[in-house]
Amino acid sequence: MLSIEESKNLFALLESESKSFDEIVAAYQSQFPREARFRVCSSLAILLEDKVLLKPSQRLVAYAILHQTYSSNPPSSNPFISLLVNAASDDTSVKMEMVFIQLLLGSIGGNNNREVMKLSAVDYIKGFDSSSYELFQREQLQKLYADGVQSKSYYSIFQAASVKNIIPDPDISIGIDATPYEPKLSAAGTKPRIGSDDRGNAILGLMQNLSVEGLGPQWIRPAPPMLPVLDGELIWLNPDSNHELLWDYGMCADTSRGAAVRDLIAKALKGPLAPAQQEQFVLELAKDAKLVYHCGLTPSKLPDLVEHNPLIAVEVLSKLMNSPEISEYFTVLVNMEMSLHSMEVVNRLTTAVNLPTEFVHMYITNCIASCENIKVLLLSFSMLSLFEGIGQVHAKQTGEVGLCLSAKSYQKQDNQRQVCFFRDLFIEVQAFCIEFSRIREAAGLFRLLKTLE
Amino acid sequence: MEVKDSSDSSSATTALAGSKDGLANDEGNLSDAEGLAKEAAFLFQNRRFEECVDVLNHLLEKKKGDAKVLHNIAVAEYLREGFTDPRNLLDALNKLKEQSEKLAHSCGEQIESENSSGSDMVPGSKSNSASIHQSSAINSSRVVYAQDFDTSVTLLNIAIILYHIHEYSQSLSVLEKLYQNIEPIEEQIALRVCLLLLDVALVCEDVSKAAGVIQYLEKSFGITHAVGQVDSGCSTQQQSNQGMKIAITSSVTAPDVSTTDSSGNGNSSDNALGRTLTDETLEYETLYSTLDTVSEKLERPISNDNLKLSPDQEASSIDLKLNLHLYKVRLMLLARNLKAAKREIKLAMNIARFGDSSTALLLKSQLEYARGNHRKAIKLLMTTSNNRSDQGILCMFNNNMGCIYQQLGKHHISTLFFSKALKCSTSLRSEKPLKLSSLSQEKSLFILYNCGLQYLHCGKPVVAAQCFDKSKPIFYSRPIIWLRFAECCLSALEKGLLGKSDFSSSEGDVVKVHVVGSGKWRHLVIDDLSLTNRYHKCLGEDAVVIPDGKLRLSVPFARRCLLNALYLLDYTENLQSSASLSSKEETNQSTSASAKSLSQKNTVTSDSKAFNATSASMPSTNGELKETKGGTLSSMTLQSSISLHEEMRRKENNMIRQAVLANLAYLELSLGNPVRALSAAKEILQLPDCSKMYTFLGHVYAAEALCYLDRVGEALEHLSIYVSETNDVQLPYSDEDMEKWRIDKSGDAYEFAGTQNAKSSEVQGIIFQKPEVARGALYVNLAALSAIQGNAEQADMFVNKALSVLPDNPRAVLGGIYVDLLLRRTQNAVVKLRQCRHVRFFPAHLTSSS
Repeated sequence: MLSIEESKNLFALLESESKSFDEIVAAYQSQFPREARFRVCSSLAILLEDKVLLKPSQRLVAYAILHQTYSSNPPSSNPFISLLVNAASDDTSVKMEMVFIQLLLGSIGGNNNREVMKLSAVDYIKGFDSSSYELFQREQLQKLYADGVQSKSYYSIFQAASVKNIIPDPDISIGIDATPYEPKLSAAGTKPRIGSDDRGNAILGLMQNLSVEGLGPQWIRPAPPMLPVLDGELIWLNPDSNHELLWDYGMCADTSRGAAVRDLIAKALKGPLAPAQQEQFVLELAKDAKLVYHCGLTPSKLPDLVEHNPLIAVEVLSKLMNSPEISEYFTVLVNMEMSLHSMEVVNRLTTAVNLPTEFVHMYITNCIASCENIKVLLLSFSMLSLFEGIGQVHAKQTGEVGLCLSAKSYQKQDNQRQVCFFRDLFIEVQAFCIEFSRIREAAGLFRLLKTLE
Repeated sequence: MEVKDSSDSSSATTALAGSKDGLANDEGNLSDAEGLAKEAAFLFQNRRFEECVDVLNHLLEKKKGDAKVLHNIAVAEYLREGFTDPRNLLDALNKLKEQSEKLAHSCGEQIESENSSGSDMVPGSKSNSASIHQSSAINSSRVVYAQDFDTSVTLLNIAIILYHIHEYSQSLSVLEKLYQNIEPIEEQIALRVCLLLLDVALVCEDVSKAAGVIQYLEKSFGITHAVGQVDSGCSTQQQSNQGMKIAITSSVTAPDVSTTDSSGNGNSSDNALGRTLTDETLEYETLYSTLDTVSEKLERPISNDNLKLSPDQEASSIDLKLNLHLYKVRLMLLARNLKAAKREIKLAMNIARFGDSSTALLLKSQLEYARGNHRKAIKLLMTTSNNRSDQGILCMFNNNMGCIYQQLGKHHISTLFFSKALKCSTSLRSEKPLKLSSLSQEKSLFILYNCGLQYLHCGKPVVAAQCFDKSKPIFYSRPIIWLRFAECCLSALEKGLLGKSDFSSSEGDVVKVHVVGSGKWRHLVIDDLSLTNRYHKCLGEDAVVIPDGKLRLSVPFARRCLLNALYLLDYTENLQSSASLSSKEETNQSTSASAKSLSQKNTVTSDSKAFNATSASMPSTNGELKETKGGTLSSMTLQSSISLHEEMRRKENNMIRQAVLANLAYLELSLGNPVRALSAAKEILQLPDCSKMYTFLGHVYAAEALCYLDRVGEALEHLSIYVSETNDVQLPYSDEDMEKWRIDKSGDAYEFAGTQNAKSSEVQGIIFQKPEVARGALYVNLAALSAIQGNAEQADMFVNKALSVLPDNPRAVLGGIYVDLLLRRTQNAVVKLRQCRHVRFFPAHLTSSS
């Protein structure tokens, strides 16, 4: 923890037993800058823990330094105050040491306490008379000096639980001495200067190597493993398809191909087309599957087309089934004014393509509603045929055979599932039947519904 | 009279015509332009780009500012110059696209205004429906005028360039726009869109999208059925299929006949009735034949007679069939649906017999590789690479060989192959004349990823990170690459490449003991293996800068990478969960798919498109259709591939998440952030199906973090899960758990047992510790906790157990010494120090006397 230079200086101070404590402290303060002092004191504290390592005179010097480093502040702010208090009241300690510390702290000796600093360690030891002092007890000392000192703050409980990391390992047996790691002092041929003896060497070495943290409880933190190569994480290369840049053949191309159809549609929005025109329209559409997208029809125009040319509407819609906009067309169809033509369109569409169930449901509901409003016999009559048609086709679509509203097909297939389709509309359809019971088909439908109940 | 009528009556058409005529007022001029256009197209086809550009420039004088002419000029010039600057072309095309879209938009608005005024005159259009009309008109304008301002070719070309310069996600987004509205696009272009989309989706590992496109191609281009018949060889099925065809045509034509008949009679109800009557008989006839084909009808909206194939097209349709099979194989391999892939590749090989089968063979090799039959894979790979002069093929060959050898655990050979592949790949770039295809063949970025993975597992984290960094343009959106980056950092850290070397490693190192003094005064000073703040000193400053200087491997960088990976994982998970939710909804009401969108007005998204394709075949499952039909079967395997892939993705992401969180908790602990470490560790423990190994790590990390937070009791709770009543600790995980984690491979991997050893011996990365070692760690940590709680005896008991499991682990030894010192048994401690092999004694004397 201390550098080689620092440890040597510090050791020299500890060794100077004949100098007065004041002199030593002064030398210490000149040699160690303020920021190094805590480290120095910490090392001293650790060295002091071993009761035999330092000689008595050295211990006194160490205590003096520990105290004097922080003497300008109140004693409770001295980080080593509890160490000092403990040492001063520990019964296992030498009395001489206890007295020295208590003198330093000023608890005994009255105004004498400054006097002790003027002595050298040797003088103090020589002149020590154990009988002349009445020592304070630990509690008293604590009250006097360490009151309000917080318990030691630490980085973690690991640190709090740490023990001193120094183990005395006296090398007594000669045989063990031959271990290879053991440095041979004499053979190294070093000049015996300061700390050349075993003890001094030990102290110097400890100063350099010990750590404040000590040895904490050990914890194994397993390193996270590397994720193994996942299946398919390595990239396997396959040849690409050849994607070449394209030429736009639409450049200056004849865009009139749709013109005829567009004309026809425009006319069809105004009024019924002649049979020849209808035929032409169907032919044109059959020639080019994509033409239907360019014929100029939009959902908003659909009602006109349905009103004037239901068959053309069926033709166009069935070709638009894959269009992303087909749902918009359906929305328009459901919401438009109910009429024979729209019904015909829906009826024919059910046979031609796969209509979404929800749409059919909505349409039927609308049908019934408007039918009851107008109460046109003829209309309801055609609606019955629509029901029949839808029912049959729906049966085909869902694979549920016999979902027919006509009585004869019902007799063929007795399947409870057929109810499902009209369950949502059951009440409505029933009411409808009662209202129009004059019509034969409606009566038949009613009977059928009854049996399904 | 008709002409006059049309010009008078339809405002929409005149507006259309006007917009077109505005570009070329003169009729004669127009026909002239047409001739020039034909000439230019001819020259383009014959790759005479120089002349082609001349003609086009001539044409441009006649039609100033025409987007299509400009487009073709840009393309032809680019080809003439030899693909020097794809970005330039990209900019030009993007500009043209915007220009056309603007024109189309303004034109659309004009039409719309006329439209709305027209719709007011319609009798009986209710106010509530009027709003619908208007909203739909806005959307529809795009379709109606698509022909005149059609940007589909431009968009496709943009996507093609993006594909070639490896910007796949951008390419994907362009293609998706096209695909969403693919119906009106001209067939040949639509086909190209689909094929490119397939390629891009496969590169992006978007299995469901690819499956959607394949199904769309099958139904729109009528491909599967014929193939399915040939291969199954089932004659009855063939017949039934033919029957179907007839049924379809009859049901289509039947109403047509009646339409033309009835329309003459006006629109009375009698007619409608009459129709239903006549149709009724007709319907009953066709009822049974159409019964099982109704759903087919939707699958094939373009009936076959519309596709009049020329002999040339016929050849290309065989090509298309083969390609579609190969795409399916690739998709299934990606989804690791190996059985289906095996079936599919057989079909492909049957077709490919007559032509070029190299791609099919390569895929077969990949299949065997995926199944763990590495020898077979190598053999197949050898047969494909007979054309060794082609750098592109050579590059693929080397890379794939590298993959196989990596799996075999032969890491040095693997590295060799990868670097060879890299060399081939870069030489492609310098090839003259440069082709556009050679740009896309330049697969350096993929190979670099492979290299990085290889280096990482060989314990060369810095080179590995460099490789990953370069492959980032493609992989940056995948969580795994960020985990790999973090692993590079951690590996560098373990190897002492970052920061102070004395802080570098954990278990592999030694206990340092300083021998101080001699003789009677000899002391031993033990250095603690510092745990806390281990990386504090390398925070920020200490980093390995990889050679090209762009990337610094450091601990904070590792943390950023891990957070990145977590973000991406969350992101993809959210996407997936929402997608699966919606798809569930949709399958619940599969028959009313479009009705659903009916109620929601306008929700045509790319997903619904993919779904429409699948839903078309869905009714067959609940209906009475037989599953043996080609289309149904194929869609079912595709469906199962999608779900397999989703399942696999979920598993993989779970694995990645465990690893990321464990790394994060570890790093945070090392950086001295116990709070963050704790939250990461807790997250591991909360994962739904976390492996036992990571659960163990989670508990240990959490316990340590809690210790730093002074919550020893909770820490003990985490560890005591593993402690039995007799104070024994059970194994936190078993060998089987580790096996499960390592390789989740099915199939007949007969070579596997042998390769396992080779694998572990050559790999230098950190792998999972053996269960016994993990148990030892638990003992050590329990001892520490006991000591902290002041129970030295219990600590002694645990530490002795730890030492019996891990006699050589320096930490266990040190733990033992700690307890000895705690109990003031210094002699025992000294003995332990002397006996441990991982203790180094340092004579302090040498330093003091210098």
